[in-house]
Amino acid sequence: MRKPAGKAVLYLAVIVGALVMIFPFVWTVITSISPGASLTTTPKLIPDNPSLAPYLQLFDRVPFAQVIVNSLIIAVVSTLFQLVTSAMAAYAFARMPFRGRGAIFLLYLATMMIPFQVLIVPLFVEMKSLGLINTYLGAILPTIASAFGVFLLRQAIGTVPYELDQAATLDGAGHFRVFFQIVLPLVRPALATLAVFGFLNTWNSFLWPLIILRDPLMQTLPVALSSLQGQYSTQWDVLMAGSVVSILPMFALYVFAQKYIVQGVAGTGLK
Amino acid sequence: MALSAIRPQTLESGSRPGGSRPARKRPAKRRLAYAATVAVFLLPSLIPLLAFVIGPMISAAWTSLHEWNLIGDMKWVGLDNYRFLVTDPATQQAFLHTVYYIVGYLPLVYVGGLGLALALNSKLKGRAFLRGIYFLPVVTSWVVVALVWRWLLNPSVGVVNYVLSVVGIHGPGWWSDPAWSMPSIILASAWKDLGFVMVILLAGLQTINQDLYEAAEIDGAGWWRRLVSITLPMLSPSTFFVIVLSLINGFQVFDQVYVMTGGGPNNSSRVVVQQVYDLTFRYGQAGMASALSWLLFLVILVVTLVQFYGQKKWVNYA
Amino acid sequence: MKKTLVAAVAVASLAAVGLAGCSSSGGSSGGKATVTYSDFISNGGNEKNLQTIVDAFEKANPDITVKVTTTDYANYFTKLQTDLSAGTQADVFDVDAGSYATYQSDGVLAPLDGVDSSKYRTSVLDTYKTDGKQYGLPTSFSNVVLFYNKDLFDKAGVSYPTKDWTWADEKAAAEKLTDKAAGVWGDYQPVTYNEYYKAVQQAGGQLLSKDGKKAAFDDEAGKTAADWISGKSGTVMPTAADGAGTADFDTNLFKSGKLAMWHTGIWMFSTLGKLPFGWDVQVEPGDTQKASATFSNAVAVSKDAKNKAAAQKWAEYLSSSKEMVDVRLKAGWELPATSDDALLKPYLTAGDPANRQAVFDSLEKVAVAPQLGANSQKIQDDVTNALGEIAAGRQKTADAVPTTADQVTSLLK
Repeated sequence: MRKPAGKAVLYLAVIVGALVMIFPFVWTVITSISPGASLTTTPKLIPDNPSLAPYLQLFDRVPFAQVIVNSLIIAVVSTLFQLVTSAMAAYAFARMPFRGRGAIFLLYLATMMIPFQVLIVPLFVEMKSLGLINTYLGAILPTIASAFGVFLLRQAIGTVPYELDQAATLDGAGHFRVFFQIVLPLVRPALATLAVFGFLNTWNSFLWPLIILRDPLMQTLPVALSSLQGQYSTQWDVLMAGSVVSILPMFALYVFAQKYIVQGVAGTGLK
Repeated sequence: MALSAIRPQTLESGSRPGGSRPARKRPAKRRLAYAATVAVFLLPSLIPLLAFVIGPMISAAWTSLHEWNLIGDMKWVGLDNYRFLVTDPATQQAFLHTVYYIVGYLPLVYVGGLGLALALNSKLKGRAFLRGIYFLPVVTSWVVVALVWRWLLNPSVGVVNYVLSVVGIHGPGWWSDPAWSMPSIILASAWKDLGFVMVILLAGLQTINQDLYEAAEIDGAGWWRRLVSITLPMLSPSTFFVIVLSLINGFQVFDQVYVMTGGGPNNSSRVVVQQVYDLTFRYGQAGMASALSWLLFLVILVVTLVQFYGQKKWVNYA
Repeated sequence: MKKTLVAAVAVASLAAVGLAGCSSSGGSSGGKATVTYSDFISNGGNEKNLQTIVDAFEKANPDITVKVTTTDYANYFTKLQTDLSAGTQADVFDVDAGSYATYQSDGVLAPLDGVDSSKYRTSVLDTYKTDGKQYGLPTSFSNVVLFYNKDLFDKAGVSYPTKDWTWADEKAAAEKLTDKAAGVWGDYQPVTYNEYYKAVQQAGGQLLSKDGKKAAFDDEAGKTAADWISGKSGTVMPTAADGAGTADFDTNLFKSGKLAMWHTGIWMFSTLGKLPFGWDVQVEPGDTQKASATFSNAVAVSKDAKNKAAAQKWAEYLSSSKEMVDVRLKAGWELPATSDDALLKPYLTAGDPANRQAVFDSLEKVAVAPQLGANSQKIQDDVTNALGEIAAGRQKTADAVPTTADQVTSLLK
């Protein structure tokens, strides 16, 4: 039983922390409605003459609507594929013994251990020979499998008690049934978590879309926003407007996924 | 359910779901069917990874045995690049800085994330909203975060030094001081990733059986005891995940260093991946960059392997 | 749960397959030649102006289509190098004076024959000439001049900079104009390699030896120049700890009327916009002689371009046509490298600053950009780093200059 004083202190700490967390976002929003503002001077909490002009300029400077559509398509398709491919591989690693399983899992992990900067050129050459330069497919393909996702889901599936698998097997279920009907529903929090982070990674991805997509109408959001940074000066107000627009879908997805991430224990089927 | 009933899972035996019978020679048809099933589960992710990551990695290994500026021909140099890197003081420095980053970052982000997850898992009013707030830095780009932190840590007009001066401490030069550049990056990085750790650990906390806590309370255990004896052990799969991932990513830290300090001042915050990037795209030495990447890869691999072998001792699976 | 998952996967696969075909078509369309052009010069506000020039070119050459891809300067060269590596580079692409030498020596630039050199400013054109062959055509040039805030000068009772000013005059004025209590600074000069190689020449020295194989700034001139650049920090301009050197810091300082003198490029003319105080520019003062840093951007034709004639036509149009000059001058989009001074007349009377003649006066004594070879970036990084250390007081000029000179010599290949 918590002492009321302890709870109050906890509340205070959490709220102060939240203010620290939200501050940069507030600064971003303020800058995005202050035409001509710069992010390198001391921030003003109350803008001098607030206006939505920077947002309108966004649509003027880059084909913004198209860019958002591009980013959405690539991120959504990529995330869906990541969910499917990762869940299936994770099940195999957690529940299906086979020779060399440990080594292959290590191989998966190994794909996370090399910096992307050094893979870009060979990957690009590969895409060229596949004829996928400047295509959505070229942007999506390298992202449809995620070692991160496999790792996350393997850990999650590992916490599902074997008894449940056994119970299903006694009823005559094969691996596919167990996977779809028993295991998958029980790792919803992890799936939701992967959906959020998978989407986040692809949505914010910069280097690969920069290289693979040539046509300005095919660009994704981070690349389009970088074009606002000129050789000698940066249009901070428009850039911040772009950042705000970029953050919103992510945040919405997170809020939506929250429901699944934080589930009651009632759903775990444990006694 | 008594605590002793929870034991690490052995997944060695049985090819049938839930099966724990000792392995026996099975008819060939069954084995083929099983192999096919495994393949169906694995191939959707294995093929793309092989094609789009492993393939380029091998290509990079080949490149590492040459001198190449990306444009002209590759010139064979064998293991010269590796020999150079292993004795090069700048490379050693880069590795040191990277390790420094990890040692500072990991405890901060884990303890902070754990505290957050615990606090926002309890019956605090408005916790769903607060969870959203704490997740905001995770979705904000480093361009914005770096600028904010540069301002916060500004030696003369920054908020942090102002607060310190109120309690009588003369704040350091932060990102303008070679001794404090890496701590500045560590602070900003831990702050930004708190929400990530929180989300992972929150998901993990959901799987802990509440009966355990009830049993412990009946036994008269205080909150510290409950934390150490129940929460942490039951959370160990998630903790393991966070730590392995944080180490893999920590060794490859780049974006925030690039935007916050550019590796300075005086190369005091230069990390390995920055070296890789510069070597590839600014100094025209893609071969050396590839060799450095593979060296880094080996380091990360060893560190990860150690954790996986220790897994049996440290991690409880239900 | 299962049904929605299957449905989602089906939709995703269909989408991916369908999208495989969603790419913009390239190549030529029935008799017309297509020239691909990759640039950074229009990024940051001049994309529409570039399009105007493209439209004018296509109108005058109905059998050629130009396809433009624009990237911001910071990421342009990463993209270019990746392209060159895979052979997907554009037919015509931008280079700048600093990067030209590397690409030319790598053999990826096509020699341009039959170029009418009389249309270009000789010194800028020659920057892109190697072994008697022309490999690039300059699209714009710019130099660094001294900006000054007239109001601050009036308030402090200091007379405006003249063409004959020397470092001593600049220093004296800067000290008089600095008022730390009021947050007003006298003189901002970036602490970077680009300022240094010019300062060495202004002090009568050279960065490299005549044969370009050794560093030559470990002498009186080099040390004086280092003190000149690094000594301003904290005395007449803010320190790096205050934010000096970060993006737009100096621009904001000048725009807010808190900076009396500012060494920066003429590209700032249009960026500054309307300021609430009087300002003008002057030729940069030298110590024993003047030396103004001049930069330029150029276009080159790829060795592998399919239709070299059409590509060269576009390159020439973009760098020397009257239409291009008009567009640039009207938009305040940098200075075209044309030799026709009559065409440039509108530039001189285009508004603030009044003394735009200083831009051309500065061309009388140009600071020669040293050829740094393959390790150019590393050398620049090392020099900038050393200057920063001196400015922060962590190293002494007498130690840092010889050490850096040795570093540079070992990097010169």
